[in-house]
Amino acid sequence: MGALASYLRSIGRSVLSLADGLAVTFSYLLRRPVTLQYPDRTPEPVVKGLPERSRGFLEVDLDLCTGCGACDRVCPIDCIALEVVKDAAQGRLIRRFDIDLGKCMFCGLCVEACPTGAIRHSHEFEGGTGDVRNLVVPFVDAPRPPAKAKQEPPPAPKPLGAILRARMPGPWDPPRPSSPAQGGDHAA
Amino acid sequence: MEQLVDRLAAHWQLGPWGQELLAAAAILGVAALVFVVALTYAGVITWIERRVAGRTQSRIGPNRVGPFGFLQWLADGIKMILKEDVIPAQADRPMFRLAPYAVMLGVFSAFVTVPFGSLLIGADLNVGVLFLLAITSLVVVGVLMAGWASNNKWSLLGGIRSAAQIVSYELPAGLAVMVVVLGAGSLSLQDIIRAQGGAPWNWFVFRDPFCLVAFFLYFTAAVAEGNRTPFDLPEAESELVAGYNTEYSGIRFGGFFLGEFANVYLLSAIATSLFLGGWQIPGVTPAAQADSVLLQLAGFAVFFAKAWALVFVVIWLRWTLPRLRVDQLMGLCYRYLIPLAFVCLLGTSALLLLVTPGSGADLALRLGTTALGGAGLLAFAWRVRHHIRRVGDRVSLDVLQRGARGVFDPALQARRYGAFRRGQEER
Amino acid sequence: MSPELRQVGRDEFVLNMGPHHPATHGVLRFVLHTDGEIMRRAVPEVGYLHRGLEKLAEAHTYAGYVPYTDRVNYLEAMFCNQVWSMAVERLMGLEVPQRAEHLRVIACELNRIANHCVTLGSISMDVGAYTPFLYLLREREAINDLMEALCGNRLTYHYVRIGGVAHDVDGAWVDRVRAFLDHLEPVLDELHSLIGGNEILVRRLANVAVICASDAVGWGLVGPNLRASGVDWDLRRDAPYSVYPELGFEVAVGRGERGQVGDCYDRWAVRVVEMRQSVRLLRQALDKLPAGEVLAKVPRSIKPPAGEVYQAVEGARGELGLYLVSDGSPKPWRAKWRSSSFSALSIIEHLSRGLMIADLVALIATLDTIAPEMDR
Repeated sequence: MGALASYLRSIGRSVLSLADGLAVTFSYLLRRPVTLQYPDRTPEPVVKGLPERSRGFLEVDLDLCTGCGACDRVCPIDCIALEVVKDAAQGRLIRRFDIDLGKCMFCGLCVEACPTGAIRHSHEFEGGTGDVRNLVVPFVDAPRPPAKAKQEPPPAPKPLGAILRARMPGPWDPPRPSSPAQGGDHAA
Repeated sequence: MEQLVDRLAAHWQLGPWGQELLAAAAILGVAALVFVVALTYAGVITWIERRVAGRTQSRIGPNRVGPFGFLQWLADGIKMILKEDVIPAQADRPMFRLAPYAVMLGVFSAFVTVPFGSLLIGADLNVGVLFLLAITSLVVVGVLMAGWASNNKWSLLGGIRSAAQIVSYELPAGLAVMVVVLGAGSLSLQDIIRAQGGAPWNWFVFRDPFCLVAFFLYFTAAVAEGNRTPFDLPEAESELVAGYNTEYSGIRFGGFFLGEFANVYLLSAIATSLFLGGWQIPGVTPAAQADSVLLQLAGFAVFFAKAWALVFVVIWLRWTLPRLRVDQLMGLCYRYLIPLAFVCLLGTSALLLLVTPGSGADLALRLGTTALGGAGLLAFAWRVRHHIRRVGDRVSLDVLQRGARGVFDPALQARRYGAFRRGQEER
Repeated sequence: MSPELRQVGRDEFVLNMGPHHPATHGVLRFVLHTDGEIMRRAVPEVGYLHRGLEKLAEAHTYAGYVPYTDRVNYLEAMFCNQVWSMAVERLMGLEVPQRAEHLRVIACELNRIANHCVTLGSISMDVGAYTPFLYLLREREAINDLMEALCGNRLTYHYVRIGGVAHDVDGAWVDRVRAFLDHLEPVLDELHSLIGGNEILVRRLANVAVICASDAVGWGLVGPNLRASGVDWDLRRDAPYSVYPELGFEVAVGRGERGQVGDCYDRWAVRVVEMRQSVRLLRQALDKLPAGEVLAKVPRSIKPPAGEVYQAVEGARGELGLYLVSDGSPKPWRAKWRSSSFSALSIIEHLSRGLMIADLVALIATLDTIAPEMDR
């Protein structure tokens, strides 16, 4: 009799637990989905809604960069290629500032190390491109002198991501050399 | 259909050869029609499956290709046809090619006997139920062929498991069907439907409690035969990648896939015919239905609604329940379903002897069982409401902005996980 | 012929549950010697996700390596950050401000909940129920959003630093966390209705791959795996660190809820209770959050005096340990990670005899082995 009782009890337990599970999934048919239909059916572009501290692609405002190289030294993965040369006539010149977005770990150490806030994380995250060499973004077009550490008046702040978006590789761009100033190879 | 063929032959005054040709053309025509209907149903079921899967998982299903993603299955079908035809190097090529067709044959042939309406049936065989059970067993051959011919140990395992599963679950399915056949006194599907009525208490499912149990037994066994979760071990993604159809790609895989979904519709249609009153409309006699085109269409609509409701239940089960292990699956069949099926058979036989149909006791039994079923549905609806109220009806990720919803009950937590305390306390 | 093939018995065949497989958690390979369903042996092969993280530690500064610690186990990145930071702080004798310690506990317990969401979801998915995975990922998405507001990243947080934490929080974030916690508890009940109490799941997990307490201790299991086998050991209570001594919580120990002690269902249930206890810890930590600094004064170039230290925290998977040797230079001399997944993997071969393939999948899932931690 005990065997029959446990047999029937197991049937009852199965049916009740299964029905409870079915009730849960059925109840979700009556609730709204949580899907955010990225990229074209969102209430606002996702890039605009990200939190302030969000760590997207890096960008450099060369009007603020002093060429100190703190970011390059602290980067754990060597994604920054910074070249500062001494020119006889013009003094120190920043010849090259390339960031390899493909290597960047998005750790934020360079942002914390920068004394002037020249380098910062934008909120951009849509950087798909056809060739990995295009992920090396050059921020220096022609050699330029570094900015002073304290400038009066301080340069106007540029909107987050504006500098980067002007230089971002497009999805169908042909492969390009890493730095127009250099005309050369991959960022080191 | 035979009457139609005879009338046309008489009208056109065809000779014996002409009549044979006309009959052949009619058979081919009906076969093509049934095939197209079954394929379309299978495709639409995939659309429903993906939408229901999405909505039960708090997300949207396909919604880009066509309105509400309705053309997604067409796009997927075209994609499959255009895919590269890959056959594994050491595979048994003729058997590999033949396997999907065996599966499709087993499933699509059965559509000929599905009674969509009182006159809308391909062939009303007087051994309809037997034919259905037999022809769907052809699927086993196809599955074994696929598993063997793929030259892949995983596929072989899947194929063998599937074959064992389908063959075993034929037994409770057949026994549950016998319960209905006892009541109707015929194996023909149309006769079984005519023995029922339109109102729920005239359906076979509510004829007596044994028939109610038999309905669930048939449904469970049929879902198992169709390799649907919770019985989809042969296709278990997490264990066997895709079981017997691992090596299949493109339209060959499409063949298996569509065969499986057509099988889902088939089992729902059979369950509707046998248990839920088929095309019977409450208040309308079958004779009246046969005379009026409008009532025929209404009968078709009723059948359509019932069958698709059961299709929805099959899909809903898939996205709720985990998978049974193969020995548990077999154990369920032989230790639970078959004994229960025998009990139902005996019980129904006893009731048939004791209770005369049409009497007051019969009506009381029917109404009582209907009330039981209704009470079950009400309890279920109450439970659904409970779940919505606990977590919230708009489960949304911006709950973080809008604040708390639902009520936390510490006593319930204690009861639920009462055994998990630090070592010192008593259980 | 390979040594394994020579050992194959006559009625046995060798199945390869290869690195590409939906069930193995990460890239992990098993060579199964099976007679079709019951296994004789399951030989694991690791190394597919080896990235040389321990060697990389010797090439980076202490502060520069913290982002790499996220990748040691990306599902419990906060704990990895924390164990590295605590080891270096111990070597340097650095004291962490109280506010930072509370924030560490908050971040870590949120990470624990997020991790268990993935684990429970993976167990459900491997057993065949696809829906709970999505519900749990939805809850994890809320935690990801909280983390993004906290530190900027959703997975590789780089939040717990040497000397404290990177960013401070404001009242708005605290309110959001509280709202999330209030939302989470009914969801856990709903999860139990859907899958935790589901008879099929119970049948799949109960009495499967029972690990007795002595085996668990002998094979070096830690965390929920160890506690499910009946061993009452939790570093937060038994070797306390940070502010855990001030917070009250219960340690979930397996009691054979639906089967034997130490079966797969116990490993499931222990994790569910741990999630609830994390909620309790979080509420207390949020209430007690003191004012103050979030990062101690740390020298620009971190050069701990020469020495060695073993630091462990109770991560989501159990004891996550780090053995760090410093030689006085800015870069570590040796860093060795003690990962719980590696020892959990080693017991699989021992348990696999007599197990069915489906049970092996359930075992791997409930042991919560994850490849990045195994291979580093």
